[in-house]
Amino acid sequence: MFDLATVFEFTRDTVILTVGITAVLASLGVILCSSPIYCALYLISHMICLALLFLLCNAEFLAVVQIIVYAGAVMILFLFIIALLGGEKEIQENSLERSIAFGLIFILLGELYLSATVGPTKQIEGKINPEMFGTAKAIGLELYSKHIVAFELASAVLLVAAVGVICLAKFSFAPLKRR
Amino acid sequence: MGQEFVLLVSASVFCIGACGFVIRKNPLIMFVSVELMLNSVNFLLIAYSSFLNSLDGQIFALFIMTVAAAEVVVGLAIILTIFRTRHEMDVDHIDALKG
Repeated sequence: MFDLATVFEFTRDTVILTVGITAVLASLGVILCSSPIYCALYLISHMICLALLFLLCNAEFLAVVQIIVYAGAVMILFLFIIALLGGEKEIQENSLERSIAFGLIFILLGELYLSATVGPTKQIEGKINPEMFGTAKAIGLELYSKHIVAFELASAVLLVAAVGVICLAKFSFAPLKRR
Repeated sequence: MGQEFVLLVSASVFCIGACGFVIRKNPLIMFVSVELMLNSVNFLLIAYSSFLNSLDGQIFALFIMTVAAAEVVVGLAIILTIFRTRHEMDVDHIDALKG
């Protein structure tokens, strides 16, 4: 007979493997798809897969933030811009520079894999307290006690970004031809 | 979740993002590739915060998300302004500053 704990463990491993492979495949779709709309949709699926992986790492709050901020706000912004600029397909022709880029990226990938084989980081002993790890309460306590200066600076960054966008987008420039 | 799996997925997604940034010509897709790279780093930080039983990685990921949101907004505004002036979307043709 099956042991119930073993079955749960097996299911968990299968889910993790499936979600991870889906995330990698979706990111491949992002860079190989010609139409910008499909790229955006692939990116949304990639972000949802990552949010699931965050959940499996005991980071509930960040999983929710990932879905709301990335898959919600940022991607909707992207889709608006694509709708505004017209999502025509990009012609991808093979050239020497492209092959060189692929080669360099494969070398980078190989280097990263090699550096990953150095050995696992020693895990900290002791069981994670799920009540106080990754919940909104835990993140908030940490953020407002240890990282309060960084938090305030982040608000300044967002404000400056908003002001910059207004400055950039407000004035209409005459097309170059008419100057 | 094993550390090898996390490193493998994260490195693959990072390299795919870097590849997309290099080979694509549409500036929107280049921004999407930058998002891919930032997301892979976020995943690594969160996974290791779980391995090391410390919340610092998650706080870092939160700040990376903030900076990424600001960066996307400013970048899209710049793309929009360039498109308004030039009516094309190919980064190979935007070379006025090239020496």
